[in-house]
Amino acid sequence: MIASVVFYLLAAATLAATLLCITRTSPVHAVIYLVHAFFDLALIFYLFGAPLVAAWEMIIYAGAIMVLFLFIIMMLELAPGGKPLTVDRRRWIPVLLLSLVTLGCTVLLIVLDPAAAGSGAAFHASPREFGTALFDRYALAVQVVSFQLLFAAVGAYYVGKGEPRARGDNP
Amino acid sequence: MENLVQIALQNVNLAAIMPSLVLVCFGMGLLLINVFLPRGTTRPAVWISLVGIVVTAVVTVQGWGNPQYGFSDAVALDNFATFFNVTFLLAAALTILMSDDYLRREGYAVNEYYPLILFTTAGAMWMASGTDMMTIFLGLEVMSISLYVLAGFFRGQSASNEAGLKYFLLGAFSTGFLLYGMALIYGVTGSTRLTEIGAYLNSHSSLLANPMTLAGLVLLSIGFLFKLGAAPFHMWTPDVYQGAPTPVTAFMSAGPKAAAFAAFLRTLEYCFFGLKPEWSAMLWVLAVLTMTVGNVIAISQTNIKRMLAYSSISHAGYALVGLVAANEIGYSGVLFYMLAYTFMNIGAFAVLILVGKQGEENLTLEGFAGLGYKRPLLGVAMSVFLFALMGLPPTAGFAGKFYIFAGAVKAGYIWLAIIGVLNSAVSLYYYLRVMVYMYFRDPTEDYAWISLPVSVLATIILAVIGCLYLGILPNEVMAMAKTAIF
Repeated sequence: MIASVVFYLLAAATLAATLLCITRTSPVHAVIYLVHAFFDLALIFYLFGAPLVAAWEMIIYAGAIMVLFLFIIMMLELAPGGKPLTVDRRRWIPVLLLSLVTLGCTVLLIVLDPAAAGSGAAFHASPREFGTALFDRYALAVQVVSFQLLFAAVGAYYVGKGEPRARGDNP
Repeated sequence: MENLVQIALQNVNLAAIMPSLVLVCFGMGLLLINVFLPRGTTRPAVWISLVGIVVTAVVTVQGWGNPQYGFSDAVALDNFATFFNVTFLLAAALTILMSDDYLRREGYAVNEYYPLILFTTAGAMWMASGTDMMTIFLGLEVMSISLYVLAGFFRGQSASNEAGLKYFLLGAFSTGFLLYGMALIYGVTGSTRLTEIGAYLNSHSSLLANPMTLAGLVLLSIGFLFKLGAAPFHMWTPDVYQGAPTPVTAFMSAGPKAAAFAAFLRTLEYCFFGLKPEWSAMLWVLAVLTMTVGNVIAISQTNIKRMLAYSSISHAGYALVGLVAANEIGYSGVLFYMLAYTFMNIGAFAVLILVGKQGEENLTLEGFAGLGYKRPLLGVAMSVFLFALMGLPPTAGFAGKFYIFAGAVKAGYIWLAIIGVLNSAVSLYYYLRVMVYMYFRDPTEDYAWISLPVSVLATIILAVIGCLYLGILPNEVMAMAKTAIF
């Protein structure tokens, strides 16, 4: 019962955060809302009894990818320039609300411990089980991903290279 | 540390991915060799990549009739995959042959081009031989990411940049659909192996009507149909095909399109045979829509490259008819048609490359005025390709369409076959118009700028031979296609 209430709360918070993310004009604000969505999503995974996936959602998405996003935004200076950022208290309201929901749900989940309640034992996978599946059942997928990273690097290198046009030397 | 698990890689069987491995090795070797080549020297890269394709083709053909399964059923190199692999390799070889002089003319004699073509082909191979959703998805990604770069290969041209970016954004969006569909199907059946999904759905027949299964099927189909360029997911096709470098356009409309058909066909047949009436009905509508949209819009085009882009949409529609038929002759007709389309389409684009001027100019109908008299050889070759695209005998296009529509009639879809034939009649108009310009208009130019390099000549001759051989003696290849389907 409580689990489903928490789920709907989190789902609503995720949707609200993503909606706010795509409607903000300031990219930094958008990124903050996206991080929020990732946090809520991670909690949903935890609620379903998949703590490993929840941890990855935090480490990889909220941690690594968002930092990259912020870094690129800062490097490109995408923030609306010229207009000084006024301190508008009202713009804190949605982010505070979302934070409260996320924080409340986190505390609730820690107290409830859904994994022990058996709400989703079927999804529970230990890192070891995951690793075994990855390198046994999905061994080919791992190989192909590694190839893909190489190909993408070649492509990115070519596209990102400057524009000294390589004219043919023999006409 | 006491509970260390040793994972024994079971059933690896590298033979099941040998063709793609050989190709990727050549591609990576080429990347290394490129470092030592002086800037602007591309001939060695052309030769090495062609040798790579020939070696891969030899490896591939040896697998005919000797199916290999590997990585605990994540990949299957059966006759089906082998037939498609040959198609991809042909498309890659013909593309590479006609690329070098074109890239030189446009000022992009860059060596990265050739490895990227090889990598795209390897991705297509993984798609055709994948029997696991992850393999198919990752193959599609490998293929697409290389293609995004190839479409935007002319970094200094805004049209090419636009093509690359548009293809990238829309492609990433459609990949989301595909992945969402796969996730839903995994949620229903608990497996990513195609055969296991099919068996599970078969033994739990109540799941076939489950909304999640149906939503998964529809989302999966959207992902594949986008890559096919089928209406209503065709919006990216004209701009991308027009903006991309011409050889890349030729390659994109032959190889990767065939790969999407291969993966789509295998997924439908392995996983969703229980839902055949449902997806047949869905594809019926889409096939009619795709054929009609492609043909009708192609009529109003004056740029031949863009016209061929729309015509490529309509050809995806013809091939979809074979999927709707869903019987032996329909499926093998799709295989045959993809092979035939590779020859006729790449051939037409090769002529386009020769007639075009530097900077993608002279691709309009006017640019072909009187070509048939000034350059008889090119005129005859282009006529053969256009006849094949129209589907007139004695060319490959006729045989391909004949098999596909025969499959539809045999499966009871008489109206679909009639609509298909009517669409072919519509397409006569815009293909014949090119011939009218070639033969019945006075030349406004002397076409003195057209030089005929040996490599492009080889492409055109190979394509003509392919078109005529598959048109006059289709039985042998068709018999092979019949043993290639499941």
